[in-house]
Amino acid sequence: MSQLTEDNKENGNETNPESNEAGRRNFLKFGALAAGLTVVGGGLGKVFSSEKEPGEKVKVLNTGDGKVYEADVNHLQECNMPPVSMTEARRGIANKKFVMVIDLAKCDGCKKCTEACQTAHYIPSEREWLKVFKMKESEATAPYFFPKPCFHCDNPPCTKVCPVNATFKRQDGIVLIDNERCIGCRSCMAACPYSTRFFNWSAPSAEEVAAVGNIPYSPERGLPRKMGTVEKCDFCPDMLRQGKMPHCVSGCPMDVIYFGDQNEDAVTNGSGVTVKLSQLLEENNGYRHLEELGTEARVYYLPPKNRKYPVPEMKEDESGEKKDSKPKKMDMGSMQM
Amino acid sequence: MATEKFDLKQEIETLREDCLRPTRTFGRSSQIWVGFLLAVMAWGIFCYIRQLRYGLGVTAMRDYVSWGMYISTFVFFIGISHSGTLVSAILRITKQEWRRPITRSAELLTFVSLCFGGIQPIIDLGHPERILNLVMYGRVQSPLMWDVISIMTYFTGSTVFLFLPMIPDMALCRDRLTVVDTRYKKFKKWLYTKLAIGWKGTKTQWHLLEKTMGTMTIVIIPVAVSVHTVVSYIFAMTLRPGWNSTVFGIYFVAGALYSGSAGVILGMAAFRKIYHFEKYLTPRHFDLIGKVVLALTLVYAYLNMNEYWIPAYKMATAEGHLLSDLFYGNYSKIFWTCQFGTVLIPIVIMSFPKGRKITPLVITCIVIVIGAWVKRYLIVVPTMLHPFLPIQDVTKEWSTYFPNYVEFSVEAASLAGMLLIITMFSKLFPMMAVWEVEEGIEIDYDKEVAVELGKQRIADHAKAAAEAVKVSNGQLKQPA
Amino acid sequence: MKSILKKITLAISITGLFCNISAAQDQPKATGKSEATIGLSYNKKADSKTAVAVVKVKKDGRFVPALNAKVNFYAVHDKEQQLLKSASTDNKGRAVIELQKGLPVDENLASTIVAKIENDKLYENTEEQMHFKEANLTLSLNPADTAHLVTAKLTEMDKDGKEVPVKGAELKFYVQRLFGSMPAGENNTVTTDENGIATFAYSKNIPGDTAGLITVAVKMEDNEQFGSIESKLPAAWGTSLAIIKDPFPRALWGVYAPWPIIITLSTLFGIVWSIYVSIVIKLFKIKKEGGMPNV
Repeated sequence: MSQLTEDNKENGNETNPESNEAGRRNFLKFGALAAGLTVVGGGLGKVFSSEKEPGEKVKVLNTGDGKVYEADVNHLQECNMPPVSMTEARRGIANKKFVMVIDLAKCDGCKKCTEACQTAHYIPSEREWLKVFKMKESEATAPYFFPKPCFHCDNPPCTKVCPVNATFKRQDGIVLIDNERCIGCRSCMAACPYSTRFFNWSAPSAEEVAAVGNIPYSPERGLPRKMGTVEKCDFCPDMLRQGKMPHCVSGCPMDVIYFGDQNEDAVTNGSGVTVKLSQLLEENNGYRHLEELGTEARVYYLPPKNRKYPVPEMKEDESGEKKDSKPKKMDMGSMQM
Repeated sequence: MATEKFDLKQEIETLREDCLRPTRTFGRSSQIWVGFLLAVMAWGIFCYIRQLRYGLGVTAMRDYVSWGMYISTFVFFIGISHSGTLVSAILRITKQEWRRPITRSAELLTFVSLCFGGIQPIIDLGHPERILNLVMYGRVQSPLMWDVISIMTYFTGSTVFLFLPMIPDMALCRDRLTVVDTRYKKFKKWLYTKLAIGWKGTKTQWHLLEKTMGTMTIVIIPVAVSVHTVVSYIFAMTLRPGWNSTVFGIYFVAGALYSGSAGVILGMAAFRKIYHFEKYLTPRHFDLIGKVVLALTLVYAYLNMNEYWIPAYKMATAEGHLLSDLFYGNYSKIFWTCQFGTVLIPIVIMSFPKGRKITPLVITCIVIVIGAWVKRYLIVVPTMLHPFLPIQDVTKEWSTYFPNYVEFSVEAASLAGMLLIITMFSKLFPMMAVWEVEEGIEIDYDKEVAVELGKQRIADHAKAAAEAVKVSNGQLKQPA
Repeated sequence: MKSILKKITLAISITGLFCNISAAQDQPKATGKSEATIGLSYNKKADSKTAVAVVKVKKDGRFVPALNAKVNFYAVHDKEQQLLKSASTDNKGRAVIELQKGLPVDENLASTIVAKIENDKLYENTEEQMHFKEANLTLSLNPADTAHLVTAKLTEMDKDGKEVPVKGAELKFYVQRLFGSMPAGENNTVTTDENGIATFAYSKNIPGDTAGLITVAVKMEDNEQFGSIESKLPAAWGTSLAIIKDPFPRALWGVYAPWPIIITLSTLFGIVWSIYVSIVIKLFKIKKEGGMPNV
């Protein structure tokens, strides 16, 4: 486990920019928590210890109080341990409610978000945690692209039906899966109305095993993949603990996806533009997909109004051919705006 | 005095021997049959081991159709398991005399189909070795957990329900074993003695047995209903179009009774033929149980109408897509074949007394049982192929489903396992509840005796009357 | 309004078209290397000074980040270039180096940094330079509760080592959030007055942490003279976040089941199983009875 070492407690003083009272109070908390401060993952240690220059600061999210601190990268120990303990991975980050906003008006369907996600999570090509759909409600309405991650519902149908508590809802709103407990009954896949969950039908490929390496398993990372268990978009909790946004957010060149903490009423897009969540939703008529199902999704959509790109072309056979043998009317599902 | 044509002792002796005869032989044909079943099972187990080794990817299931033939078969087998409860318990409660030769095979069918129905979800698991997680981390909010609890309860109950009426028969087997030379005598003696739990047929024992039977008969009915209700809940508790239905609980129960009672007829016909029970399982029995199946099929047809006509009238978006696929899309042929061929036409056939004769009834029931299986598939798979969000950019392999050889092999093995247990059971234990049928014969005999006595009395009375008339006539004559 | 939007859309599509045509001219040269452009900036934060080079290449008519480009940073002193450090660009095309104290300065107290791509395997040689001066941005909070005012003062050193205010610089006021700085209001830009001071009134209903703390951030962005400067200060101005006593309640989706489910299930199945037990007891009675001599 990467942990702040003893001497970092002292160095923490230097890294803390503030010197007034409030800042000191902050720091005192920091110091007190340092011993129990589980910082960032083995993944992080691997990435940064070799590449970053000495003295570089990394943002570190304290899981105790949900605050972000900056720590010197050299004081993060690299060891091959899961980012956080199993208990911590199940509890989630305190005082946070993660939320995502997807601006359909900006999405041009380039699937860079999907690519970033696939690469970061070593996802086999036949499944996409974040899938970009081409949607068209009815014949007369205009088609649009619809990126769909896991909605991390507050009333999650998947979590309700799990017989062994392998999938769980954390206090920060994230729904995760513990693949060391999952029995592979796929009840959750049947229960999810958004087709968000995927099953490891076979063992991960040799390339994947080599790429992932022999890292210890954590639900926050979902790696190494385990045959016979269910997986899905996880809002990248390992990144969040580092104070970084999910891969899809930073991977989107159009700044379609916003991510943030609902408790702070703020979301940030891939370019770092931070806006007020309530205002964003109010001004753009934000909605949730299939609100009538009552799943209380944590992902909001902004309708595709005033598009910044031409309307996508919908070919009759494009989805028809792949879906069914017979070309037929587009099966778009119900969708409310 | 009673009658020469109805010799009670002789009658009962014939019955006992008829019932015990199959347990004493294990002929060439039986050996071939068992060998065949074992071969099918071996192949199925091989396929299952492959599935364990290489993952569920060896089946045709993929992410969109994540439940396929295994879960359909699970529902089907659990449905068949309702037979025992229905025929045995309901007919017992209503004191239907004709149930007597049927109960044992019905109860056995329940027991066996529960065994193999219960393992279907385990076969379907990605990590069957983690099954103990259900105990360690079990969540009672999960419908699957309700299934586990409910099926275990039903399994225990139906095992007891099968065992209770076997006790006197076990004693009979134990006592008769010494009479005739058989193979595996030592083993059989040990088995029968153990299972007879010291049955001597004392008054207290009979009293206790009747009491337990009475309790079980009542308890097993709500338990059976609960089982199929919660089996439907693994679907009905989801938001998916086609499953999101309040009628599912009773719909599944009705479907279970419909297929289960048809299953009982098949069992009856098979034992009648193989073990020569023609004397006991008469065309009248088939006619009567045929009427039961008819009534249940009508209920099932009614619920089918509810299940499809109500949403079809509204054609709500997501459900509408599913229904169009069923009514005139990819699944229309199989859907209408099921509705007409296995529900409506059987109703017509069984409505006529000629349709309830043994041969047409058995054929109808075979169709019903297969139809019930296919219908479970039609409940599970098309819904999975019609999620709320469209299926896009997926290869055909991932977006369509038809079970492949692995699933067929494993299910064939399950079926073979069921038949094997039934076969082995019938080679060890009498396939009719001997004492119950005896009781029936005794009642008949009593009736016969009563009739004879009545006749006698009437005759005597008439004689006396005639005498009296004569006397009175004489008396009348005298003054004249 | 609609017509304006249409025009904008049209303009965008025309631009797109144009870019597509020009894309043909942007093919990599015979060397197989791409032509990259560097954007260089200086960032000063409370605890760090960095030089950031953003390297982009034109691909299909669009500028996209150049990945894995090795950028060498030089400090210029009396027209002599001295290599500071090298860094490779990340997936956003950014190469960042930390600047140590004591950079050489010219007579105007300005430093010059040159970023170069030299003999890179993937990209053509190119370079970019920038000049910047040191400035200090200090923040202070309004001690009174009446208004949540943040006062920022921007100063620079003159040649005598005296702090002098910087006038006319645009400062932006933000609230620090988890993943970035959120503008503190609609118009969050204030220009410094002759005392180098800019003041901004923060809203009173900014969500803070459980203690009601927020962090205010003030930035000067891409100033021609001073680069970017950012300064932060915590303030107990936020609305306190209610601490959820039990984040894991008994719920259908929770770990622990709601009581009605537990009670219903255990009652129903408790009854059934107790009947089973009573039956097993009766079976034992039958067995016991069988052990007795025949009556």
